[in-house]
Amino acid sequence: MKKISIVIALLASFTSVFAGGPWTQKKGQGFYKLSEWWVVFDQHYTDAGLIDPNVTTGIFNTTFYGEYGVTDRFTGIVNAAVFSRNYMNNLVSLTTNEVLVPGEAFNSIGDIDVAFKYGLTKPGSKIPVAATVLLGIPTGNPSAGSQGNLQTGDGEFNQMLQLDAGTGFKLTNKISSYTSTYVGLNNRTNGFSEEIRYGLELGFGLLSNRIWLTGRLVGVESLKNGDTAETVTSTSIFANNTEFLSYAAEISVYATKRVGFSASVASVIRAEIIAAAPSYSVGVFCDLSK
Amino acid sequence: MKIILPLFLASLFFAGCIKDDFVDDEVSPELRISTMLDTIAEDSNFVMEAMYLNNVGQEEEAQNLIWTSSDTSIMSINKLTGLLYGKQFGSSVISVSYTNDLGVFKDSLSVEVGLNTVLQESQLKSGTINTTSTYELFGDFDIEQTETGVVLKLAENYTASTALPGLYVYLSNNNSTIVGALEIGAVEVFSGAHEYVIPDVSVNDYTYVLYFCKPFNVKVGDGKIQ
Repeated sequence: MKKISIVIALLASFTSVFAGGPWTQKKGQGFYKLSEWWVVFDQHYTDAGLIDPNVTTGIFNTTFYGEYGVTDRFTGIVNAAVFSRNYMNNLVSLTTNEVLVPGEAFNSIGDIDVAFKYGLTKPGSKIPVAATVLLGIPTGNPSAGSQGNLQTGDGEFNQMLQLDAGTGFKLTNKISSYTSTYVGLNNRTNGFSEEIRYGLELGFGLLSNRIWLTGRLVGVESLKNGDTAETVTSTSIFANNTEFLSYAAEISVYATKRVGFSASVASVIRAEIIAAAPSYSVGVFCDLSK
Repeated sequence: MKIILPLFLASLFFAGCIKDDFVDDEVSPELRISTMLDTIAEDSNFVMEAMYLNNVGQEEEAQNLIWTSSDTSIMSINKLTGLLYGKQFGSSVISVSYTNDLGVFKDSLSVEVGLNTVLQESQLKSGTINTTSTYELFGDFDIEQTETGVVLKLAENYTASTALPGLYVYLSNNNSTIVGALEIGAVEVFSGAHEYVIPDVSVNDYTYVLYFCKPFNVKVGDGKIQ
């Protein structure tokens, strides 16, 4: 089902501050993160880009993210929603106080992304460039609940080809910085529209890089070539043609040389067919490249 | 920290508990004569019926209805049973009233006395569906009584968004909820004229044509049947 990606789509903007980008892990090194991501919303952006109300819906994903350097230029990546909870509130009559539509909840494993990143430039390049192939494995449930409206996955196997470029620099003697950008083409199956994804990221390392502040812009533009309600009589087209431009801020703090904590918040500047509420994430990470 | 983190994650899990969303579904209670009688034959009987719709638009059994005739020389009616008797040619207004905690409710119908008993044949009502959301939805409609039910006819100017999953059309007496509404079916036509044949329904049974996104309980639009 596609409608669940009204929120799952935002997950794309929550990869680690240290992960992603054009930088590959050195051979044998890795970066791992366990995080909780959630959004609770009672409004959504419609296909007109305007906001309509909906029954309060929440999604909570416990996600494991890991990078491992197979070689200095080849990194394997997994981003797995190891536990996903989707619920909707009861709908209660203000007149009679009776429950008109009982709320429901569904828990399961979510979707898993597996990616392979290859450094197109030599390690240590001033402006590294990398190519990534991402496979979106539909391990979540796309149609739980009595109306098929609770989902922990989008039910489609997608493949995305992405190009990343970036550079690191010193903002001052005490502040390390980096910026990166990417563009990708997401080929979706099962009647979903293909997507162009892009992003821009800027990070600052403070206190000898023990604290990192990161800002992101993430965009998704649908090619709008998938199914609509006119061609498919099911409840599965809600998030087809999802588009958004989101911004996110994240702070990551190293508690030890390798272990730290992170927190982030994200919202959208403009959107279609997506939750109209900020999403949050907190996590703990282990950076074995240190 | 070993304690704080699991506790924090656990608190997030409990934040995902199902709570209540409230919908303002109050409507004005209504008493409605459901018998579509046009003419009663002289020297014959006919049972009049009425339906009471409560403050959420649900049909509720109404005991102790009071029936009256404006001209008892033309036709008489049993005050409690609604049994109508045509005495002589002419017309009279048949009224019914019902009293409960919410107030006194009334409805009336003009009936003729003639050679034969005749039901209202081609009763036609109409309206316009408008979006109540930001999803596209518009169209004029007619709803016509047939021998077996009604036909809901959407006009050529009808158009609906194809972006919604599970867009359904209903007949209802409450335009805030589909609880208690008659589900006609999933919308499969998104522009242009088309019609729905709905059996075992009277044109007087419902007040609204409703469009809802069924899986997400989101109201998309409605049109009052007039």
